Amino acid sequence: MSRLYLYGVTRPREVEERLAEQGIFLIAAEDCAAIVSDLDEGPVEATRRNLLAHADVVEQLHVEAVVLPARFGHVLESGEEAFELLALPEIEQLLERHETTCELTLKGTYEESVLAEVGAELGPLRAAYRAEPSVDAGIALGEAVGEGLSERRAHDASLVLEGLGPLIIDLVSSGPSGELAAFDFALLADRDSVEAIAARLEELAARLSPPLHFKLVGPLPPYSFVHLTSPAVA
Amino acid sequence: MQRESSAGYLTRAPRSSGLADVLEILLDRGLVIDAYVRVSLVGIELLTIDLRVVIASVDTYLRFAEAVNRLDLRAVDDSKSVPDLFEKGGEEMAETKTKGAVEGGMDAIKEKIGLGGRGGDDDEDEERSGSRSRSGSNDR
Repeated sequence: MSRLYLYGVTRPREVEERLAEQGIFLIAAEDCAAIVSDLDEGPVEATRRNLLAHADVVEQLHVEAVVLPARFGHVLESGEEAFELLALPEIEQLLERHETTCELTLKGTYEESVLAEVGAELGPLRAAYRAEPSVDAGIALGEAVGEGLSERRAHDASLVLEGLGPLIIDLVSSGPSGELAAFDFALLADRDSVEAIAARLEELAARLSPPLHFKLVGPLPPYSFVHLTSPAVA
Repeated sequence: MQRESSAGYLTRAPRSSGLADVLEILLDRGLVIDAYVRVSLVGIELLTIDLRVVIASVDTYLRFAEAVNRLDLRAVDDSKSVPDLFEKGGEEMAETKTKGAVEGGMDAIKEKIGLGGRGGDDDEDEERSGSRSRSGSNDR
């Protein structure tokens, strides 16, 4: 039997035609199934195409029912290994936990005008920099702006989380990944709450925008909430 | 695929689209069963660090200072005592610098996940020009 590329784990069911045509199939045990495709010899390359294909498979299957998405790059040497994996008690626990959940990624980004708002408190440093735009004066001003921006980020992020309140089951927060980034959240929510969350964000946008912009992606499979506590396999 | 709220401050997309969306999700998140991981991702994990380090750099501080100063001038200086040329020049400079930094970050990512060489350059252009409809059909 050939090697298998593992996309994730789901409940046993039919795979829709579009994916089946791409060679995606399920290896099903009683209550759970591994999402796989045959794989040639050689390493799995983290190319753009392969990454997007992996995301497409788990996101498409997640539309209908729970999917525990695997991190990119899992290879099973045989169908036997799929059954070993499916037999892990934690897999069943995760499937139960995520039966009706989804992940939403929420990113906040500021317009540049936030710098003027933050800088409004920094009159003397601004004046010093304008009088003599040296590197030292620039760093002094910029550092103070950076500090003010950090406070602003923390403030706005907590307003957003307060606003979403109990609509959110769980949260993973990554540090902002850019100079004008405000926050980067992975939110776990019930599938039924997605529209309520979007509506709440519209309200928050009315208060915080401009300069804050929101980008909401999902409902996605729970990428950030499928951590195994004891990932060892015999 | 994407839709915006009437005010335009909330952008929504139902699915991941493009490399930027999936990169961190698939390489840093997701179910991990050590025994079956066959890809070395050591180099790739550095990329998020790379991007986040940028925030606290001297470069950033100087860009902030420049931006605050420029926005100051724009807000206060209706009298045009500062020549337009100067203001415009400053703006272009800031944009070029920022763009350079961002693209530098993306190049580093591409390099680390092996997209820099071979067919990878095509993808990069595709991504940058925003035409994602061909979704990597010419990759590899």
